[in-house]
Amino acid sequence: MNPLVDQIVSWIMVFSGSLIPALIIVFLIGLTGLKEITKYEAYNTFFYKLNPVTKFIFLIAVIALISTTIWWIGAIFSSILLFSFLTLKDGVKRFSYASFLFISSLLGGTWDTAPFLSYQALQRAFPNQNFTVIWVFPSYFTVMGYDKELTLQALFFALQVSFRVAPLILSGLLFVMTTSTAEIFRMFTKVKVPIPITFSVLVGVRTIPRIFELLDTSVKMQYIRGLGYGKPKFVQSLLIVEAIFLAIVPTIVYLFKGAKNMGISAATRGFMAYPKRTSLEELKFTRLDYYFFVIIALIIAVAIIANILGFGRTISTAGGF
Amino acid sequence: MMFVEIENLKVTYLGKDKPSLVVDRLNIEEGEAVLITGKSGGGKTTLVSVINGVIPHLIKAEVEGKVKVFDLDVFSSNLSKISRYIGTLLQDPDTQALNYYVIDEVAFGLENYMVPRDEMIKRIEESMKITGIYDLKNREINTLSGGELQRTVLASVLAMRPKALILDEPTSNIDPQGTKEILELIKKIREEGISLIIVEHKIERVLEFVDRILVIDGGKIILDIKKDEIVDYADVLHSLGLEVPDYMIFLKKSGLKVIDYEFLKKNYHPSPPERKDGKGEALYAKLKVKTKGGNYIVDTEISLREGTITALMGRNGSGKTTLLKGIMGLLDKKQVIVEEEKVKVFNIDLSKENLIVRGAYIAYLPQFFDVMFVKRKVEDEIAFSMKNRKIYSKEKLEEVLSAFSLTEVRKEDPLLLSMGQRRRVALASVLVGGAKVILLDEPTSGQDWYHREMLGKELQELREKGYTILVVTHDSRFVDKFSDYLYIMDKGKIVLKGKPEEVFPKAEKYGIEPTMDWVIRNESSC
Repeated sequence: MNPLVDQIVSWIMVFSGSLIPALIIVFLIGLTGLKEITKYEAYNTFFYKLNPVTKFIFLIAVIALISTTIWWIGAIFSSILLFSFLTLKDGVKRFSYASFLFISSLLGGTWDTAPFLSYQALQRAFPNQNFTVIWVFPSYFTVMGYDKELTLQALFFALQVSFRVAPLILSGLLFVMTTSTAEIFRMFTKVKVPIPITFSVLVGVRTIPRIFELLDTSVKMQYIRGLGYGKPKFVQSLLIVEAIFLAIVPTIVYLFKGAKNMGISAATRGFMAYPKRTSLEELKFTRLDYYFFVIIALIIAVAIIANILGFGRTISTAGGF
Repeated sequence: MMFVEIENLKVTYLGKDKPSLVVDRLNIEEGEAVLITGKSGGGKTTLVSVINGVIPHLIKAEVEGKVKVFDLDVFSSNLSKISRYIGTLLQDPDTQALNYYVIDEVAFGLENYMVPRDEMIKRIEESMKITGIYDLKNREINTLSGGELQRTVLASVLAMRPKALILDEPTSNIDPQGTKEILELIKKIREEGISLIIVEHKIERVLEFVDRILVIDGGKIILDIKKDEIVDYADVLHSLGLEVPDYMIFLKKSGLKVIDYEFLKKNYHPSPPERKDGKGEALYAKLKVKTKGGNYIVDTEISLREGTITALMGRNGSGKTTLLKGIMGLLDKKQVIVEEEKVKVFNIDLSKENLIVRGAYIAYLPQFFDVMFVKRKVEDEIAFSMKNRKIYSKEKLEEVLSAFSLTEVRKEDPLLLSMGQRRRVALASVLVGGAKVILLDEPTSGQDWYHREMLGKELQELREKGYTILVVTHDSRFVDKFSDYLYIMDKGKIVLKGKPEEVFPKAEKYGIEPTMDWVIRNESSC
């Protein structure tokens, strides 16, 4: 192939690897969509009724499952998690946002890992296999840490890695969207998490949706000020990426000012007066929690059985990671 | 017992070479209610932050001298101990609430202080009843109005049964209805015998609830008077840029020392502010916006006359901000349904145009406009808009900097400027594209009178240059002094419109009250 074309295609691959997931997030989810899937809203279905401790244990079980078993178990589990978004408030909308985020994290994760995988690493994961080279990068790409040859196996291996991250993101979102701040506070206190850490989590949970809201305002203000004026519509749309980048500093500054108020408000209401807190509502375990503990037990059982049957993460001969 | 005893206090913020607050002596007795007022940046918040222990325990500063509250040494006691005695309510209700449900917010302080559950339930019920939010206990915080949210946080503070309360500008970010609710609540709190410090710009509104007025300026207490002496000091307060009603200044000039309404009726005949009629129609918009559930948020028409300032008032949630956003094309169509959208500026139809095009005809400033500053120098900020619109030249930039009095701060970071300067940078940045119609969303919120007056004068200057302005505000005094027209919005519709003189008398049922100045002026002219 023409060396110039080689260069151009290689660089397009480099940029599109980061750009495509970012564009999925920006255009298909949007800042308001991100706000939607990071904020709690009261509702009355299954996940909302669970004790937060149960959900927290579920999160840990998910981590245990995906970190000890073969990738496709994580993939199956991701799909189950994804469909459970349909049970949430505005389920279809949240399911679609979560799906885009899922796809974006798979694409981003795969592309951010695959070109860096060395031949030796791949040999351990896929012993006795001939590798199919799908692209050869210019030699100077090794300076950026790229392996010279991109193989089909590297892509497959990277996809498997991504399937380990995706369920974590999904279960984290499920937790945030179905647990109120007071429940998180009470639950963390119950499991003896130090109060400063609890407070940080609390401020984070409360602030994240606000970040997207402020970014959205800042971005729109840039368009009102003429960003993209006189340019074709698709260029105007693409400029949102630049606008988001420019909006980060004023958003963070604004949030810091608000965080100061929040800190004062909490501190003048006795926050950290004692290492413990009492609780207005006792976090009770209902029958639903016990049913869910069965599911958690099943998850752990799957992890154990998968390992016994040779589908554990450490079994390289299974042809996976 | 004394509520506050201060001697030889000096507070110097880290990085500053001179103290931001110096108080030689200040005593406030238990059960006393004190109004602390003064221009923004004068040291009011620093003083109350020392009294409630936020300085030096939370905000680090060098402190000298002695500060005691209820015999407790503030500097050597920890903040949680001080907070048992003094409850604090801050200005912005949105940033104070940490919880999702009202009841959880009210319980927050009690849980922190390890109050047993039975006692907690008793206290929550009690404080919710005092603050009138008992019926809201299971409501989600994000569905509350500003006034309801402030009352929720106040209930949380009262549930801790403090001996004193510090209310730091508790009404500056909420609508007139919310303000009324909070002021009624203050009256109740006074009846409970709780000591009180209110930091507030609206002197006249809180006067009946306090015993004493402290004025802080330049980091010092420059006036400490009894509330009955206010008329006698009305001219001094006015010269300090504080919000003193005009009729009080008149009384002072007439040699009176107390408020005498009979005297005012006979002798006080001020002429109303000059109001412009305007020329043709600068902006026409018709909007129908509803929620996904089918409830109309906005269903109204609006028309602005060229070269006028129109104020838009109404309760929180009446649709004012949605109307402005709808005109600008800022509504998120994933969240709401825009059923009808007609926007014309000087007869140019913008209904189908996007933000970029609308921005060339209509300038818009949101309430929290700081998030629009994307450059780290004032001149770059304005140049950003000019370059976007392809009208940048050094000469034009100089012209704009000079027109908005920004030449001296051109190299400064916009985010580090004073409120007045920041607003001028923001206005310059949105107007430089050539827009002749300006929409401002609550620019008076949280501002002292000095800054509101400055804003009013700036807007009048822009009006003289031919701009047409629509201001969403809760500030009746600002409306009376600076606007040509007043529109009232309720449940998504503009229900009243006309000159303030025509609209104010009919506006009470929509939660809008005119100022006493307006009332006295109109009574005396009858």
